[in-house]
Amino acid sequence: MTPPAPAVEATGLRKSFGPVLAVDGIDLVLAPGRIYGLLGPNGSGKTTFIRMLAGLARPTSGSARVLGVLVPDRSVLGRIGYMPQAEAIYPDLSVGENLEFFARLEGRTDRAAVDHVLDLVELGDRRHTPAMHLSGGMRRRLSLACTLVHEPSVLLLDEPTVGVDPALRAQFWAHFRRLAAAGTTILVASHVMDEADRCDELVFVRSGRILVRGTSSEVRAGAGTADLEAAFLHFAGLDAEGRPLGNDVP
Amino acid sequence: MSGARILAVSRRIARGFRRDERTLGLIFVVPIVVTALLGWVIRDQKDATVGVVVVNEAGQPGQRIVDALTSATTGAPDGIEVVSWTTSVDAARTALREGNGDIAIVLPASLLTDVAAGRRPSLTVITPGTEPAVDGAALGALQGVVATLAGELAAATGGASIIPVLTHETLYLSADADALDVLAPVFLAYFGYFFVFLLTGISFLRERVGGTLERLLSTPVSRAEIVLGYSLGFGFFATLQVIVLTLFVLGRLDVPAIGPLPAFTIGLAIQSAGSPLIAFLITILLSLGAVNLGIFLSTFARSELQIIQFIPLVIIPQGLLGGIFWPIDRLPDLLQFVAHAMPMAYAVDGLKAVMLRGADLADSAVRLDVLVLAGIAALFVILAGATIKREVA
Repeated sequence: MTPPAPAVEATGLRKSFGPVLAVDGIDLVLAPGRIYGLLGPNGSGKTTFIRMLAGLARPTSGSARVLGVLVPDRSVLGRIGYMPQAEAIYPDLSVGENLEFFARLEGRTDRAAVDHVLDLVELGDRRHTPAMHLSGGMRRRLSLACTLVHEPSVLLLDEPTVGVDPALRAQFWAHFRRLAAAGTTILVASHVMDEADRCDELVFVRSGRILVRGTSSEVRAGAGTADLEAAFLHFAGLDAEGRPLGNDVP
Repeated sequence: MSGARILAVSRRIARGFRRDERTLGLIFVVPIVVTALLGWVIRDQKDATVGVVVVNEAGQPGQRIVDALTSATTGAPDGIEVVSWTTSVDAARTALREGNGDIAIVLPASLLTDVAAGRRPSLTVITPGTEPAVDGAALGALQGVVATLAGELAAATGGASIIPVLTHETLYLSADADALDVLAPVFLAYFGYFFVFLLTGISFLRERVGGTLERLLSTPVSRAEIVLGYSLGFGFFATLQVIVLTLFVLGRLDVPAIGPLPAFTIGLAIQSAGSPLIAFLITILLSLGAVNLGIFLSTFARSELQIIQFIPLVIIPQGLLGGIFWPIDRLPDLLQFVAHAMPMAYAVDGLKAVMLRGADLADSAVRLDVLVLAGIAALFVILAGATIKREVA
């Protein structure tokens, strides 16, 4: 039986900003219907990698395909959902207006799509509230809803649950799991270790390179620890108190 | 009250400025540049020769005076020269309208009899009235001609020299028009341009720094769709703004006394010699350029303050060089070149032509102004689109 075509396929992907090499030759294949955690310390190249997949940055060398389309290419953007680190919502528009706007840009004009994500992020009763009057966690929920409103096949989420309380975070992940079961590929950049544990597979990057890839238990085993946070520190080149062990990438 | 805390606050401001070269430039360099520009414009304006058209209604005796004035001013020794003479006021007005003279002086039929009778003769002086600074300079330069004329009159009548009374008329505006009548049309454009630029620049900057532009660009929307959407959205409000401003400038609403409130008037009641619709078209084209200029320049700003810092660089020079206060052809050559790169120059020229001189689209100069403004608006659409960074169009 032929394996399904990869949802994301990066080959020798590099991106430099002047002398700074943000992504340094990433080779990565992501299968459809799975949740991948992209882990790494600040400045390790996670966001740049995601932005290249989202068509927002052109690789300096190498290539990336999303759903079989060589990116950057506008034709595939309608099937990608990208949630940036910033809230990226319009504070002077209401919750419903924000969602309707982004749905319309994605070609969705039906009210059902907006209603569905409003229920998902539990903002149905805030539909007419200006986004500027929402709490920080609510704005984050709205931001996620804007990413999901067009039901994309590939979700690229850059630290999606920052500022979201644990209960709602659990709901988010339950929904991510449902989406993955329906075939959506999800790549989540995160620093939250309990979230990393929910991923099917983890990709740890440092200095723009993949250091380790595998399931949570494989990553822990690779670091010689039972604790994922300790594994994170190990691969980040930090000691147990977060102090640098050295500059060399293991 | 803690002196240490006050000092900490002030030191924080100084440290912030230290790393903000642009604000430092705004404080120290830009005022000098703008003041120097103003000084350059005022001091180095070209001294254009004032061309006088003499209207002789006084027959043969008047002709001797015309000849004497022509002879005395040949070569414009005092910056003024009689360029032609006629016996008809209408012909003189036509000459001024066609640019064949800056000022006309009418020698009335009763000129010599008035002088002979010891009465001060009354001479009518006609200027275009659309450039107060130019008219003022022409009237000033005319004093020498009037003095020569008074001497000739004394010689012709054998009496004492009597300085005539001058009555000023304008070619285009009504006799009771004031500076506001002349400046209102161009301020309509200038303020509209300024506010639209500011509004769009800050709004688009928020798109950039708030992350919404990044999210927009991760959707299938194209850069052209974003820029045109912005142009349409802000263009709508720019249109409303221009409508309100135009109504205020051209209209007049008398509100009667209400209770303790005295009667008052809303609106400037400026008379437009030409079609308000063409004036509206010119102002809208200028505003659309401002929308996309705001998008374009927002690329080079990191904060709202930095958008405001563009005002002395983008807005003020257009006020100084755009033909609002001084005609562009009187500016030094280099500044004329700069002025012709500014949309304000074409808007001011077009609005003055339409609202003060009654020109319409049949006038080739007005058509050129409209075309250039449309071209500039289109150019800034392209530039604005180019500054939206995404790897796909």
